[in-house]
Parts: sequence; C-alpha cells; structure tokens
Amino acid sequence: MNGAQAIIKCLEAEGITRVFGYPGVAIAPFYEALYQSPLDHILVRQEQSAGHIASGYARISRKPAVCVVTSGPGATNLITALATAYADSIPLIAISGQVSSDLLGRDVFQEADMRGATRSFVKYSYLVKDPDDIPRVIKEAFYIASTGRKGPVLIDIPMDVQLKKLHRDFAYPENVSIRGYKPEIRINMAQLRKVVSAIDHANKPLICAGGGVILSNAEDTIRNFCEKFNIPVVHTMMGMGVMPKKHPLNFGMLGSNGKPYANRAVGRADLLIIVGARLADRAIPQPESLATKRTVIHIDIDTAEIGKNMGPSVPLVGDAREVFSILAEQKFSAADQSWIDELEEIKRSTVDKRVFSDRFVNPNTLVQKLSEKMEDDAIYVADVGQNQLWSADNYIMKEGRFLTTGGMGTMGYSIPAAIGAKLCCPDKQTVAVIGDGAFQMCMNELATMMVNDVRIKMIIVRNGYLGLVREYQYNSYDAHYIGVRLNDWPKFDKIAEAYDIDYLYCSSDDELDDKLDEFLDGDRPCIMVCEIDSEDRVK
Amino acid sequence: MKGIFSVLVENRDGVLSAVSGLFARRGFNIDTLAVGETENHDMSRMTITSTGDQRTIDQIEKQLNKNIDVIKVRRLNEARSICLEMVLAKVSYNSETRTPLIELCQMTGAKIMKVTAKYLLIEYHSDPESVDDFIRLVQRYGIIELQRTGTIAMEK
Repeated sequence: MNGAQAIIKCLEAEGITRVFGYPGVAIAPFYEALYQSPLDHILVRQEQSAGHIASGYARISRKPAVCVVTSGPGATNLITALATAYADSIPLIAISGQVSSDLLGRDVFQEADMRGATRSFVKYSYLVKDPDDIPRVIKEAFYIASTGRKGPVLIDIPMDVQLKKLHRDFAYPENVSIRGYKPEIRINMAQLRKVVSAIDHANKPLICAGGGVILSNAEDTIRNFCEKFNIPVVHTMMGMGVMPKKHPLNFGMLGSNGKPYANRAVGRADLLIIVGARLADRAIPQPESLATKRTVIHIDIDTAEIGKNMGPSVPLVGDAREVFSILAEQKFSAADQSWIDELEEIKRSTVDKRVFSDRFVNPNTLVQKLSEKMEDDAIYVADVGQNQLWSADNYIMKEGRFLTTGGMGTMGYSIPAAIGAKLCCPDKQTVAVIGDGAFQMCMNELATMMVNDVRIKMIIVRNGYLGLVREYQYNSYDAHYIGVRLNDWPKFDKIAEAYDIDYLYCSSDDELDDKLDEFLDGDRPCIMVCEIDSEDRVK
Repeated sequence: MKGIFSVLVENRDGVLSAVSGLFARRGFNIDTLAVGETENHDMSRMTITSTGDQRTIDQIEKQLNKNIDVIKVRRLNEARSICLEMVLAKVSYNSETRTPLIELCQMTGAKIMKVTAKYLLIEYHSDPESVDDFIRLVQRYGIIELQRTGTIAMEK
C-alpha cells in the first residue's frame, strides 16, 4: 500500500464517502488511489469552491468534510475557503498535494509553502514526510477538526510521500494522543454554581446565542432551558436557527445589522448569558462596556474567547449542550412574565422607519415571502452583502437551517455552500440568495451543480451594484460611488440558458407571490432574478 | 505589566514560527525569546517575556495554550523565579581605561573572554536588570559590538 492508498483507507475509516476537489500533478497519486476506491469525487471549477462546498456539507452533516487540491496555485486558491471556515469554526479536512519532499524549499514549479501560508487560518496543519505517519496524521486531523472549537485542518502531502510504500501494515489508530491538545473540558463546578446563582438572582435575564450553539448541537437544549424558565433569547447572525422566528421567547438578531429591539433588550437586561459567541464588532460595538451595567455570563468552549473582546463577570468554559443540560436540571424560579411583556412592548413599539422603493421588488418582502413559502426544514444560504443583511433581518426561521459566513464575510460563498448542503441532504429544499456581485464570483460552480445533478434554487437580488459597498460610500463618503457599478452584464437569462437552468425574472412585488411559487415548485434547479432598486438600503 | 512565560513545546519544525507568528498576528510584543531543547529530546522550552496590560498578558497565555504544539504554559512570577540573561560585548580600551574596565569586570563578576590590542571581549550574565546596568556601565568605554540573549527563567 502506498501513501495515497493509505489516505483513502483512512478517509473510509472516518466514514467519508465523497471528497470535493480539483486535481493536479502533485496530487495525482491520490487521484489514482481515488480512481481505485469507492469514494465519490466532485470536481469543482475553482479550488475555493471545494472548500465552500465542503463547508456547506460539514455544516449540514455536522461532521468534518474533505476537500482536495493540488500544490501551488491549487492550494493557495483554497486559502480563502480555509479562512472562511476558520472564522466560522467549521470542521474541514483539506488535503493538498505538495512537490516532492527532496525539492521542498527550492521554489520549484507549483511549490507554495502551505503550512506557512495558512498558519493563521487553520486550527492545525501537517506536512507529512513519511508515509507511515499518514494513519496517525489523518486520525489526529479529524479529531482536531471536530472537537473543542471546531475548525479546518490542513494536511500537505508531498508527491513522493503519496507514492512511497508504507513500511508497516496499515492500521487505522483507534485513539488519539496529542500532548498539547486536550479538548475534553470538565466543567468547573465552582464556576457553574456562580452561573446558577447569577441566574437565580436576575430579574431580567437574557440569553445571547451564537453560532457555537449550533456547532454544539445545542439548539434543543437551549430551547428547553428557555421555555422551562421563561428566559428570552437574542442571537447573533451565526446563531440564526437556535430559535424559530415566531417563538415567543425569541427577540431577534442583535448587532449593528440586527433588530433595534434585540439591542434594546440587551440594554434592559440585568443578566446577559452569552453562549457560543465571540462578541465581534458587528454584534456588540463596545463589548467592554457590557459588563459595567449588568452581570455578564460568558459560556464558550474556547477558553481564549473568554475575555478576548470583553471581561465577563462570570466566565464558564464548556460545551453549550453540556452546560445547558446541567442548567436545565437546576431549580430556578422562572423569570417574571413582566420582563417578557416589557420586551414584547419594546418589540411592538419599534417602528421600522426605513422606506423602500415600490418601483421594484422590496427585498424585505422578498425574503419574508420566500421563507414563508419554503419548506419547514429547508436550508437557506445567504451570501454576503445587502442580500445577507436583508436575509438575516427578514428570514422567517422555522425548523430548517440558515447558513452564511458571518465571520469572514466571503462573497461567493452561498452557491458552493448550498451545493454542499444539498449534496449532504438531497431531500431538503435548498435555496441560495445572492447579489449580482457575489454571483459573478462563483457562477462557475453552476457547472458543478448541473454535472452532479444538485438541485438547488438561486435567487439573485439584482441592483446592478455592489450594494453594500455602495451603501457604505453613500453613508461615509457623500455618495461618491466608485468601483461599485456592475453595469448590465451578464445577461443572467443567458447564463441560466448556458447551463440548462430554469430562469425566472421578477421586477415587482405584485408578481412576487406567483413567481416565488413557480420558483419553488418542483425540484429542478432554478435561477430567479429579483430586480431591486439600487437606492434601497439596509439601514 | 511584564509577563514571563515558560512554554514547553513540541520539538518540531515550524513550532517556533507558529508561536512567534501568534504574537505577530495578534499584536502582542515579544520582548525577549529564548529557545532550547529540554532534558527530553522531543520537547523544547521557550521562555518568552512580554509587556502589556492585564488583558493582553491573559490573552497571550490563553492563545499559547490554544496552540496544539504547545504542551504546557507556565506564567512565572519574577520574584519567585531565577531569571537570567547573558551578554557578550567587545569593549574598546586604551592605556587609561584599561585598569578601570578590568576592575569593573572583577567587581561585577564579568569574564574577560579575549584580549586584543583594541578591545576586551567580555561575557556577563545575570538577571535582566543587572544586565541592563552592566551594559550602561561599559557603554562609557565604547562598545564595538554587543549581543544579548533572551531571558531564560526557572521557578525557584
């Protein structure tokens, strides 16, 4: 067995059935082993998409997904996807071919120092120099990617290591032992008691749920806890889906792009329980000031997150699911209904003063109607830009998933991520919502979609501009618009036609219902362009 | 405030760059850095000194701990540890300054490693502050070349 065949054996042992990738010479031995294996290969059209497809797949399967690239430009093209997965804590295994180990460091053709280049974008990286190390390295990589705070792991494998025979008989290790990595966290009971006491003494408790809740599969646990003790919830963008939109205890997304009433809820709370959120600038503009006016409990699996952006009153390191399972067993008196009523009143009295053009499709109406019409367990993938913020603002979350890149904000994420999500769960209705700018960053993947019969639906929110940058120039630079006009190309109907994808066009609210029904009908891939007024802004 | 971190790491290629890269990326200062193998060939010890506010020093410890190649991080208390630095200096002299310079070496315990017609090559090691003092003292004689190590430290 050679190194490449050993990689395949390891992937099989991890239950991997398909990989996403783009071949090249330095990874050719792996592809030869792939040819002889039962694993599926999905050929992407650019390596970045291999990473995003794996990300969508991993988020839905809740397990690490694998992407494969060749050395040099193939590997460097993947870096943006690794950075995206790292920022959102998505477990990926990236396997990159590398030039032969005797040539390393000589700047030969298609050599790139991938360990060096990705150091701050991966949870860990390996450069494998001995084929006998492959089973251990891959076992460790899956373990590191999927435990603790999840994230991408890179395995860079020189071509000669893929070709060389293993000296030992192949055996996939059962256990992992890494001296510097112990992700099993025993919850500190003294801290937990402080958390319990803080909740018990609070009159106006509020939970702020982040993406960590979803990564820990803790949605149900937190929902049960809130319902049992009548504690309201706000969430970050990555925390969309912790609660259905219409849940009486859900008070929406907080932050500069969130609901004003969610931010006011934070302002009124005397206890804020932050769980699985890193409190970046978009969620809380001045995190340091939070704990001055209220008690703040910060629960996170990553010790380094606690105190990074804000000094909490009560820190607790632990897995959200485990912590809230324990908390649900405690005896608290349920929070007073008057606190919920107060929040309800704030929500009712918050008037949305934004005015939207009636010449074209109202983006808010679009997202509301679309999400109402989508199946209950559907997957909605929002891209980046105005479309993302309108999506987060208006999406009517039921029991499905809302995927977006909240951390890195990588344009062109949605279509490949939707492809990955749909490949993982072909039965789930999957819709990507994307602007006309980001669409042009990833439309090459329409081919990947068609070739592999992946039936996703796409809405292009079109206004002929890079809308969010335009909005920023409007607000900050006296509407000096530069570098944001997309003009009138491409003709999206012709793009759809070129890929044999159904095409719909909607330019007014009046026809929105019918068009959306037609769009969602059946499972054929469909692109629907919704014309939006370029003057429509998020704020 | 000052932070002294004694960091036990895997003795592998790329680990030093990963640790120093972590400081660079997050805007933490490295005041001094000393690295060497420990009694176990597969582990190295880095002693890193840094300055920053309490939150920065706490974050450095947490971020170091998060690094998978880092086996153990200990924050050392200066008062309860032995901290040493070493300095090598070529100090020029003439017939007038030769005697006081030699006397200075004798008083401070510095060693004269080599004598040439133009300079003395002096080795001195002590706690970081004494090393600062020593450098100030020999400065007046004219330093031709000076090299100083990072701090190494061990709990008493």
